[in-house]
Amino acid sequence: MHSILAVDDSASMRQMVSFTLKNAGFNVVEAVDGQDAYEKANSRDFNLVLTDQNMPRMDGISLTKKLRENPKFKSTPILILTTESSDQMKQAGRAAGATGWLVKPFDPAKLVEVIGKVIR
Amino acid sequence: MLAQDSSPPPHGAGLPPPGDAGLPLLAAADLQDHLMVAQNDLERLQRLLTDACDQLLVHFYGASGELRTLLAQGAHGAVDGPAAGLPGALEAAQLHKAMEHMAGAITAMQFQDMASQLVAHTSRRLRNCADRLAAQAMGDDDEDGSAVVEEMPLRPNPVTQDEMDAGSVELF
Repeated sequence: MHSILAVDDSASMRQMVSFTLKNAGFNVVEAVDGQDAYEKANSRDFNLVLTDQNMPRMDGISLTKKLRENPKFKSTPILILTTESSDQMKQAGRAAGATGWLVKPFDPAKLVEVIGKVIR
Repeated sequence: MLAQDSSPPPHGAGLPPPGDAGLPLLAAADLQDHLMVAQNDLERLQRLLTDACDQLLVHFYGASGELRTLLAQGAHGAVDGPAAGLPGALEAAQLHKAMEHMAGAITAMQFQDMASQLVAHTSRRLRNCADRLAAQAMGDDDEDGSAVVEEMPLRPNPVTQDEMDAGSVELF
């Protein structure tokens, strides 16, 4: 079973992402911000990271940069799921090494479809 | 204590100095009061949204759990043969439809996350305006000589959506 690290500082968003992904057959581990996610990512293996952008302590783009610096996460797909939709932010995400940019609110079926396309 | 000195304000960027060209003290206090009331109302709205969303989610997960249980019982019945009280093929199809509707509601239920970001951003703007008004009209009345002013958000509001349609997807 594929494992996904779901990162969001909003408890309701974490619950909805987990609900959607668990129903689709994924194993989901939740993290409350980028720092928490980085620590959890280093403690076990994940097939994909799905992260929010605006979070306390460490945002999604910083988390992406930090994960990409580690050879362990060189090819792990990282999707940023955020309310931010500006081209400038998307480019920053791309430059940091993100695999894709999803704008909230997400459609459950579409989210599962996109994850299915990129997960390893 | 309120001071009407003519020294430049510490954080009054863009505002005229108090006194002759500045806002009258009473008008500034009145405006500040309105801004603070609006900010408090926004915080209350934030709590209402969070509570509403929490309750929605509890009921949503409860209903989803019940549907899943019924579907599982139906699948079990299909293996062991139809049993009284367990859903048949037709009912199972309806249950699947109901599950699809539940999943569809997830898009709309993300309103709380988006609304809370909007409220937090607007709240900071209002607080900054109220603090700047106070600093401008009353001068430095802090213990260490500088009025405390909430920082204006550095970036524009992150939430630009004005409807709950699903957002775009871009793979790099």
